[in-house]
Amino acid sequence: MTSLTLGAVLRRGALCGLIAGLAAALVGLLLVEPRLDDAIALEEASHEEPMFSRATQVFGGAVAAVAVAVCLALVVAVVFAGVRHRLPASTDFGRAGLLALLGYVTVALLPAVKYPANPPGVGDPGTVTERTMQYLTLIAAAIAISWLALLVHSRLAGRSWSAQHRTAAAVAVAAVGYVALLMTWPANPDPVPDTIPAGLLWDFRMASLAELTALWTVFGLAFALSLTPRRALTPAFSA
Amino acid sequence: MSSPAPSTSVAPIRVPVVAWLLVAVALGVIYVLLQLNGTAFAEQLHEFTHDGRHALGVPCH
Repeated sequence: MTSLTLGAVLRRGALCGLIAGLAAALVGLLLVEPRLDDAIALEEASHEEPMFSRATQVFGGAVAAVAVAVCLALVVAVVFAGVRHRLPASTDFGRAGLLALLGYVTVALLPAVKYPANPPGVGDPGTVTERTMQYLTLIAAAIAISWLALLVHSRLAGRSWSAQHRTAAAVAVAAVGYVALLMTWPANPDPVPDTIPAGLLWDFRMASLAELTALWTVFGLAFALSLTPRRALTPAFSA
Repeated sequence: MSSPAPSTSVAPIRVPVVAWLLVAVALGVIYVLLQLNGTAFAEQLHEFTHDGRHALGVPCH
């Protein structure tokens, strides 16, 4: 499978994104919605009349998860097609898996650690633009660090470093870079009100991370497998 | 050994400019779904995808 076309990569990516979105939506329904309901019950006393019913919003949340997953998948698929020949792995499973892992870390995990998800009733509408900028610039910087790590890996090949030493150097660059970002990016300006119990906040954040992890894990594995021939290419040793 | 080609290299896939436009559109859709704030349309969409915004951990009010 070395003569992949962009169309083939895109079709597989879109389908895998759809599957990943459904998985994320399912995790959202099972794990996130109960915590959201708890938070909304606390918030309700002080809040204006909602525009949509809860049922509509639960459906909207699932639709958003699927739509976002498909869009993310299309982005990753095009990037994969563009950088496939530069990704340091010997199979498409490894290349696609590496790209999905980097996507998960940069787009989901690092933002979730630095700016953990908050239930309704925490965010201040007055700071949403500032918080959005913090969040997006962190993602952009994390992508730059990931690119730098890959660059280090490929540059050291020119100096005849072994694959293992290059991998170690690249992982070190990524780890130091990611931690540096987490420590230097500005903190979320919004305080968490006393009305939100710490337990609910923690459970909500874990559930949100579970949904993001489901999205990226299912997408990464499905996409990597979709680029892999079902049968082994080399004949198995006869034992 | 001047070029840092990996040991198991594959031929590059041709990626036309239109594919990068698709990337821009996909990122735009994600932005509208998860981040857009301030307009009347955004208000409607915001409320519809509100659970999704919180669940996916993006900044929200």
